[in-house]
Amino acid sequence: MANRDDSKPNPDKANRRPPGIYLDNQATTPTDPKVVEAMLPFFTERFGNPHSVHHAFGWDAEEAVEKGRAQLAALIGATPREVIFTSGATESNNLAIKGAARFHRERRPHVVTLASEHKCVLESVRQLEREGHPVTILPVGGDGLVDLDLLAETVTEETAVVSIMAVNNEIGVIQPLAEIAAICRDKGAYFHCDAAQAVGKIPLDVAALGIDLLSISGHKFYGPKGIGALYVRRRPRVRLQPMIDGGGQERGLRSGTLPTPLCVGLGTAAAIAAEVMVEEAGRISALKTRLLEGIKGRLSGVALNGHATLRVAGNLNLAFEGVDAEALMRAMPRLAVSSGSACTSTAVEPSYVLRALGLDDARARSSIRLAIGRFNTAAEIDTAVEELATQVTRLRAEGSAAAE
Amino acid sequence: MPKLTFIEKDGNRREVDAPVGLSVMEVAHRFDVDIEGACEGSLACATCHVIVAEDWYAKIGEPSDDEEDMLDLAFGLKPTSRLCCQIVMTEELDGLVVQLPKEVNNMLG
Repeated sequence: MANRDDSKPNPDKANRRPPGIYLDNQATTPTDPKVVEAMLPFFTERFGNPHSVHHAFGWDAEEAVEKGRAQLAALIGATPREVIFTSGATESNNLAIKGAARFHRERRPHVVTLASEHKCVLESVRQLEREGHPVTILPVGGDGLVDLDLLAETVTEETAVVSIMAVNNEIGVIQPLAEIAAICRDKGAYFHCDAAQAVGKIPLDVAALGIDLLSISGHKFYGPKGIGALYVRRRPRVRLQPMIDGGGQERGLRSGTLPTPLCVGLGTAAAIAAEVMVEEAGRISALKTRLLEGIKGRLSGVALNGHATLRVAGNLNLAFEGVDAEALMRAMPRLAVSSGSACTSTAVEPSYVLRALGLDDARARSSIRLAIGRFNTAAEIDTAVEELATQVTRLRAEGSAAAE
Repeated sequence: MPKLTFIEKDGNRREVDAPVGLSVMEVAHRFDVDIEGACEGSLACATCHVIVAEDWYAKIGEPSDDEEDMLDLAFGLKPTSRLCCQIVMTEELDGLVVQLPKEVNNMLG
């Protein structure tokens, strides 16, 4: 055991945190200990089926589930009945996009999205295309933002749903949601917003913004994995064709017994986010500035991908000129960062999001995503700067030596 | 008297005389059209679900939130679905066409 690589988790110590500095908070976040604490009783003592209507075990679980639903609704400006629990944002995105397009396919078969959306949105849209729906996948600008004029030309009376994310998972840019919503409303199309990276990070009010469908993921904002939600507007009513048939739970849109502990966890995460979001965004933003200025103070040839200011507090997507991102990450085993999104990381090819910005392969291949979260410290940021500066300098020296 | 046409599950069209002031469900019951209406118009079920002909849908007015909530639970829902206990016949609805869905879901058991 003496030769164990200490950058790898030790399976003999199940509860031991893997070593290193975690700067991959857009892939997932640690579940907040307060969230775990709130969840625990619902695995054991308070285990009832929230849909059991004949005894106290069921009522107790139902009350807990409904509290979670209300906490989540409050965070996004919805009413509790508009929140449908799902297994996560991938399911929510599938239900919103396929559900809307299939329900309205006779009069409104058209679907619109952006080239920089998450894979599960793009694949849902491609599936609809295979089913015969006309689809439009719009390009984004070099800053990663939607072209509103182009969107307005694209959305018609035959468009069922426009799916555009709030915050991009790779480059962190924030799309102009209210403007997008106005374009959709003008044509009677639903606006679906994948807000997996935005909920709990930036203020979101579905009613004020005019959003019809909004996808939420628990584990992206310090809640548990395996749960998410879909906001489905009730007035005017948004209609979807369900994907799962069964007992008619969740307004008939998502049959299946609700996982009480996860619903409690998601609700608690939402309540914490509502309380700390403003302060936390300021703190994380300061850490991001510290990271960026630290790197730029030590290195030249560093470029920021995506819009410089219209972006979420925790995200930096940086290109290190002349450095291969895969090699850089291998050289920094104690720094948990990523190139592209984890969801597509089985394929070692340049990020399609970065290419959608018009960046060439060389720049895309030299880019990494640094995502700061609730539990990062200034000391960790300083260590990360040191590690990055050292390894980028070393790799550049090796690269130019190899070229000679 | 206004005319009302039911398109039955087998595609058969039945045109009946529909007295002003009766709901479409009440008219259906009067003429033995196969519409259940388990809660008798109290917005507690979705068994009187019908699909309104597209050109008529806007003319009969918007469904209430309570009706929409019950429609959430209906099978075979379409963009022009309504609960026909909530459509009250008027002279303006002369010629109304509604279609019976292929299946209904009686949540009252």
